[in-house]
Amino acid sequence: MAPGEKIKAKIKKNLPVTGPQAPTIKELMRWYCLNTNTHGCRRIVVSRGRLRRLLWIGFTLTAVALILWQCALLVFSFYTVSVSIKVHFRKLDFPAVTICNINPYKYSAVRHLLADLEQETREALKSLYGFPESRKRRDAESWSSVLEGMQPRFSHRIPLLIFDQYEKGKARDFFTGRKRKVDGRIIHKASNVMHIESKQVVGFQLCSNDTSDCATYTFSSGINAIQEWYKLHYMNIMAQVPLEKKINMSYSAEELLVTCFFDGVSCDARNFTLFHHPMHGNCYTFNNRENETILSTSMGGSEYGLQVILYINEEEYNPFLVSSTGAKVIIHRQDEYPFVEDVGTEIETAMVTSIGMHLTESFKLSEPYSQCTEDGSDVPIRNIYNAAYSLQICLHSCFQTKMVEKCGCAQYGQPLPPEANYCNYQQHPNWMYCYYQLHRAFVQEELGCQSVCKEACSFKEWTLTTSLAQWPSVVSEKWLLPVLTWDQGRQINKKLNKTDLAKLLIFYKDLNQRSIMESPANSIEMLLSNFGGQLGLWMSCSVVCVIEIIEVFFIDFFSIIARRQWQKAKEWWARKQAPPCPEAPRSPQGQDNPALDIDNDLPTFNSALHLPPALGTQVPGTPPPKYNTLRLERAFSNQLTDTQMLDEL
Amino acid sequence: MLWPRPLLGKEGATMHVKKYLLKCLHRLQKGPGYTYKELLVWYCDNTNTHGPKRIICEGPKKKAMWFLLTLLFTALVCWQWGIFIRTYLSWEVSVSLSVGFKTMDFPAVTICNASPFKYSKVKHLLKDLDELMEAVLERILAPELRHANATRTLNSSIWNHTPLVLIDERNPHHPVILDLFGDNHNGLTNSSASEKICNAHGCKMAMRLCSLNGTQCTFRNFTSATQAVTEWYSLQATNIFAQVPQQELVEMSYPGEQMILACLFGAEPCNYRNFTSIFYPHYGNCYIFNWGMTEKALPSANPGTEFGLKLILDIGQEDYVPFLTSTAGVRLMLHEQRSYPFIRDEGIYAMSGTETSIGVLVDKLQRMGEPYSPCTVNGSEVPVQNFYSDYNTTYSIQACLRSCFQDHMIHSCKCGHYLYPLPRGEKYCNNRDFPDWAHCYSDLQMSVAQRETCIGMCKESCNDTQYKMTISMADWPSEASEDWIFHVLSQERDQSTNITLSRKGIVKLNIYFQEFNYRTIEESAANNLVWLLSNLGGQFGFWMGGSVLCLIEFGEIIIDFVWITIINLVALAKSLRQRRAQASYSGPPPTVAELVEAHTNFGFQPDTAPRSPNTGPYPNEQALPIPGTPPPNYDSLRLQPLDVIESDSEGDAI
Repeated sequence: MAPGEKIKAKIKKNLPVTGPQAPTIKELMRWYCLNTNTHGCRRIVVSRGRLRRLLWIGFTLTAVALILWQCALLVFSFYTVSVSIKVHFRKLDFPAVTICNINPYKYSAVRHLLADLEQETREALKSLYGFPESRKRRDAESWSSVLEGMQPRFSHRIPLLIFDQYEKGKARDFFTGRKRKVDGRIIHKASNVMHIESKQVVGFQLCSNDTSDCATYTFSSGINAIQEWYKLHYMNIMAQVPLEKKINMSYSAEELLVTCFFDGVSCDARNFTLFHHPMHGNCYTFNNRENETILSTSMGGSEYGLQVILYINEEEYNPFLVSSTGAKVIIHRQDEYPFVEDVGTEIETAMVTSIGMHLTESFKLSEPYSQCTEDGSDVPIRNIYNAAYSLQICLHSCFQTKMVEKCGCAQYGQPLPPEANYCNYQQHPNWMYCYYQLHRAFVQEELGCQSVCKEACSFKEWTLTTSLAQWPSVVSEKWLLPVLTWDQGRQINKKLNKTDLAKLLIFYKDLNQRSIMESPANSIEMLLSNFGGQLGLWMSCSVVCVIEIIEVFFIDFFSIIARRQWQKAKEWWARKQAPPCPEAPRSPQGQDNPALDIDNDLPTFNSALHLPPALGTQVPGTPPPKYNTLRLERAFSNQLTDTQMLDEL
Repeated sequence: MLWPRPLLGKEGATMHVKKYLLKCLHRLQKGPGYTYKELLVWYCDNTNTHGPKRIICEGPKKKAMWFLLTLLFTALVCWQWGIFIRTYLSWEVSVSLSVGFKTMDFPAVTICNASPFKYSKVKHLLKDLDELMEAVLERILAPELRHANATRTLNSSIWNHTPLVLIDERNPHHPVILDLFGDNHNGLTNSSASEKICNAHGCKMAMRLCSLNGTQCTFRNFTSATQAVTEWYSLQATNIFAQVPQQELVEMSYPGEQMILACLFGAEPCNYRNFTSIFYPHYGNCYIFNWGMTEKALPSANPGTEFGLKLILDIGQEDYVPFLTSTAGVRLMLHEQRSYPFIRDEGIYAMSGTETSIGVLVDKLQRMGEPYSPCTVNGSEVPVQNFYSDYNTTYSIQACLRSCFQDHMIHSCKCGHYLYPLPRGEKYCNNRDFPDWAHCYSDLQMSVAQRETCIGMCKESCNDTQYKMTISMADWPSEASEDWIFHVLSQERDQSTNITLSRKGIVKLNIYFQEFNYRTIEESAANNLVWLLSNLGGQFGFWMGGSVLCLIEFGEIIIDFVWITIINLVALAKSLRQRRAQASYSGPPPTVAELVEAHTNFGFQPDTAPRSPNTGPYPNEQALPIPGTPPPNYDSLRLQPLDVIESDSEGDAI
C-alpha cells in the first residue's frame, strides 16, 4: 500500500468510534442474540419454525416485562421502615418534674384586683339562682351595699343572659332585668342541638366592635357559663398586671414545698426553678438543668426517687376560678415546655400519690420515610416558646400567631410573640369575640395549623402508674403534723391541717429503658441485590447485559443507520458525478439485500482461505456452538474488512 | 485427581505407580492451555460471568473498556459483599408484635400491709426508742420546755450511738452544731437565746454517724425535721429488728387470716390458705396468690371483673407502728409466677375505704440472647451470687442488684443489711456487734460508684414481663351497705356481733384481665444466613451474572495458573541446568534426546521451548504419545483460530 493509504488506515483504526462490525441491523440483532449472556434471546435465533420462534419471543418479552414490574415494585417499596425495640438496663436521667398548685394566686393577694369582678359574679349568682348571701365565707361585710353605687363594668361588656325556652329570640339580662332581643347566631357550647330539659339556659353574648355582629354562647349548666364568663374577665384583668407582681402574688417555693427528698438526699426549694404559667401561677420545676447537670437515678424504687410534701393552702383558693383542690404535676423532658393545663396529673390532698415511671423512647425516621421533623426548623411556624419543638408547641404557637394577626393582641394563656401585647378591653375592646371565633375555627381545623404542624421525630415518654394511699395514717398523724408545721414554721403559725398537705412520690419502677427505633428496611445495596435476584431469576441477566443492550441498541444501531445513510449519500454523489457506471451500486445492493446470505458472500473475499473450518461440518461429533462462534467470528472479521474496503473506496 | 491404589508388586508396582502418577500429572496439566495467555483467553471465553467474554471478542478500544468495566464490577461486588457480611455480623434483630386475648396464667399477686408489724405486738421492743422519739419531737417543737421532761429516763445508749443534731447555719461561715438534748455543744458554745429562735429556716437537722469509737464522724444532713426523724427512727428500728429471729418477726406481723377477709377467684371461693406467705422485711408478712411454686398456676380464660381475683382485706390501721410508716394502705404487686416480688420498687398502693379495680395487660418482651442482645436467660453467667436463690425463684436483675449490694455490704461492713437476704454464715448488722455499721451503710448507700459497679455486673433477663395496670377507684362500702358488710365480716373474722372493722382499715381489690390481655414483643434475627446468601447471590448476579459455580471456575483457573507457573519454573530450572551442561558439553542441540527425556521426565520442555505463537504447541502436542485424550486436541484446535485472531488484531493495532 502507499504510505498515504497506510496513514489513513492507521488514523481510521485509532479513531474513537469504529462502529459495529455487523453491516446490517439484522446482522447486528442476530449477532447480539447469539452472543448475549441473557437467556432467551439465543433461543429466538436458534429455534426452528415460526411458532417456536414466536413463542420464544413471547417468553423473552414476558420475562422483560416481569423484571420491569418487579423492579418497579422494589423501587416503590424502598422507603419502608422496620421497627426494632431495644431494652437497656442502665442509669437513667431523671425527668424534669413541674409541680403547680391548682390555684394560681393567693386569693388574699389578688383580691383587690378582682374585688369588682367577684361582686358582680356574686350578684349574678344571686339574681340567677337566688344564691343566698349568708353562705359567703370570707368576709362578713355586705358587699352588696358597695355594689349599689357603682356601674356594672363587666356585665356591661359581656352580658350574662338567661334564655327562656318558650321565648325564642328573647333573653333576659340578669343585671338590668330587661328583656332584650337576641338576634344573630346562638352558639351552644353544650351541643349543636338543644336537648336541655331545664327551662332556663344561661349564656353570654359576645359582640364585635360595632355590636352588629354578635354571637351568643349558651351552656347547658350555669356552672360552666359562670366559670367561662369569670375566666374571660379574669384573663382580661390579669393581662394588665406586670409579671413580677404576679410572681409575688403567687406561691413561693418555700411555701409550696414542705419537704423534699431525692435519691436518699435532702433537697429544698433551691433545687427547684420557677416557671410562671399564666393560668397556674408559680410552678416549680425540679431537675431543670439549672446548673447544667441532669440528676439521674441508679436505683429503681420509691426511696430513690423524688419525694415531696406539698402545702396546698386551700384557704387561699379563688372560689370562681378553680373548683378543685390539689396540685398538678407534669413529668417532661428538660427542654420540653410543661403544658400544665393539657397534660398534668392531678394530686389529691391528704393522700400520698405514688407515681411509678417506665421510660420509653421513640425515634422515627424523618423525610422521606415519614412526615416528622427533627427540630422543627422545617416547620413554617415560629416557635414562641422557649423550649424544644413539639407538636403541641407548634399548634399553640400557630394559634397565638393567628390571634395576633387577626385580633391584634395575644391570648393570655400562652407566651407572647415578639411585638405583641396581651389582650385587654382597654386596647382591644372586641378581642373576646375575635378570640371565640378564632378558637372555633382552630378547633374545626379551618386555620390550617393542624396541617402545617408536624409531629416531632423523637420523643421520650414516661408511662406512669399512679396509685393512692391514705397519708398520714391515723396513728402517725398525731406526730407528723406538728413536725411538718415546724418545718414550715416560718410562714405558718397555726397547726397544719392534713387536707392542706399532699405527698408525692415520683420514681422509676425499674431502670429498664425501652427504645423503639425505626430503621430503614432497605438500603441501596439491598435494592441492588434484589434487582440482581430478579434479573437473574427471569433472564440470567446482569448489569453487563444492560450495558450490552445499551451498546447494541443505542450505539451500534444508530451508527449502522448513520453509516448506511452516509453510504447512500456518497453513492448518490458518485452517481451524480459519474452516471454511466453501473458497477458501483451493485455491491451495496448486495450488502443491503436482506435475502442475501453471508455464505453467498464468502467465496468472493480472501476469507475463502478460511473455508476449511467450514468444511469441518462434516466432522462428526463437534458441538455446534463452538462451531457457530467460530463461523461468526470469521464472518465478522470478513465483513469488517469488507466494509472498510468499501469505505476506502 | 485420583490417588494411586495400594501397591501391588514390588518393582512392577513401582513402575506402575510411576506411570500412573505421570498420567495424573499429564492430566492435571491438561488444563485449558499451556501459557498464561491461553489460559486467560480460554477462561474469558468459557466462563459464565458476563464481563470477561466481552473482553476477548471485541476491538481494542472496546476491549479496554470492557476490561475496565469488568474490574469495576468486580470491585463493586467485593465492596457490596463486604457491606452485607458486616451487616450480618452486627446481629441485628427485628421485632414482631402481637396483641390479643388468650387464656393465660393469672399473674401472681402479692399483697402486703404498709406497716410491717402490729404495734401491740412490737411495743415491748420499741418502748425505749419510742420514748426517745417522743422526747426528740418535744425538743424540736418546744425548745424552751426542754428542762420540763428531764425527769423522764431515756435510753441514752441508743441516742449516743447515732444522735440527731441541729446545725445552726444562720452564720454560714461558722455553722454551730447543737446536740438536740443540749448536753454537749460541739463547736462554739452559744447562748441559749439563739437556740430558741432556731427553726426550720435557720437550722438544719442532721444525723451524726460515727465510726471507730466515735472518732470519725460524718453528718447526714436533712432539710426538714420530718425526714430527719423518720430516717433516724427507721435506722434505729432496723437495728432492733435485726436482732430478733425471723420466726418471732413473722409472728409479730399481720397473720393471713386477720388480713385476708374474703377471696374469690372467678367463681371459685378461696381463702388465706391459697396464699403463700413470705416475710418481706419492709412490709412484714406478704401473701402471694397463685405463685405457682408448689401447684400449677391458675389460668384465666375470660376478660372482665367476674373472672378475676376479688379480695377484701383489712389493714388494721389503728395498730400501725406510728413512727415507722406514715402511709396507710395495702401494697400490691403483680408479677410472674416463680419470680420474687420486689414490692417496694414495683408495687402500687391501694387505699383503705375504697374499691380498687385493676385491669391487667401482660406486656411481654422476649429477646434472643447473645449475640443478638446482651441479656441472660437464667443468670448463670452473671458474676454475682444470687442470695435470693433460697426462695427458689427465677433470675431477675432486681435480685442481682440487691445481692450485689449485700455482697458489698458484707465486704466493707462485715455484716449484712436487714432488708436483704443473708448469705450463709453471715449476720445482720446491729449496733451491739457492729458499732460502725450505720456509718458504713450510709456511705455505701450514697455511693454512686457502688451502684454503677452493680449495674455493670448485672445483666437483664431476656424475658421481661411487665403488667400494665389500669387502676380505678370508688368508695367502698357505700354508706347504705356499710352496716351489714361490716357486721358480716366482723362475724366471720372475730366471731363477734360487734363491728370490729372500720372504713379506715378495709380495702377491696378487683384484679382482672382486660379485653386485650397480652402484648408480646418477640425478637427474631433480622439477617439470617439465607438472607445473607440470597443477597450475596443477588449482588453477584446483578453486577456480573455470576454464581457460586463461577467462583469455583475462578478457583480452578487459579490452580491452573499455579500449575503453569510450576511447570515454567521447572522448565526454567531444567533449561538452566542443561545450558550449564551444554556449556561444558557444547555439542549440537539434542533434539531427539530431549524429546525422549520429555517422555520420561516431569519437565515439559518441548511445550515451552518453542514459543512462536502461530505454530506453537501443535507438533509437540501431537508428538506426545498419550493415548485416549482426544478432547484436548479438539479444544486447542478450537482455541487456535481465536488465538490467531487475537494476534492478528494485535498485530494490526501496532
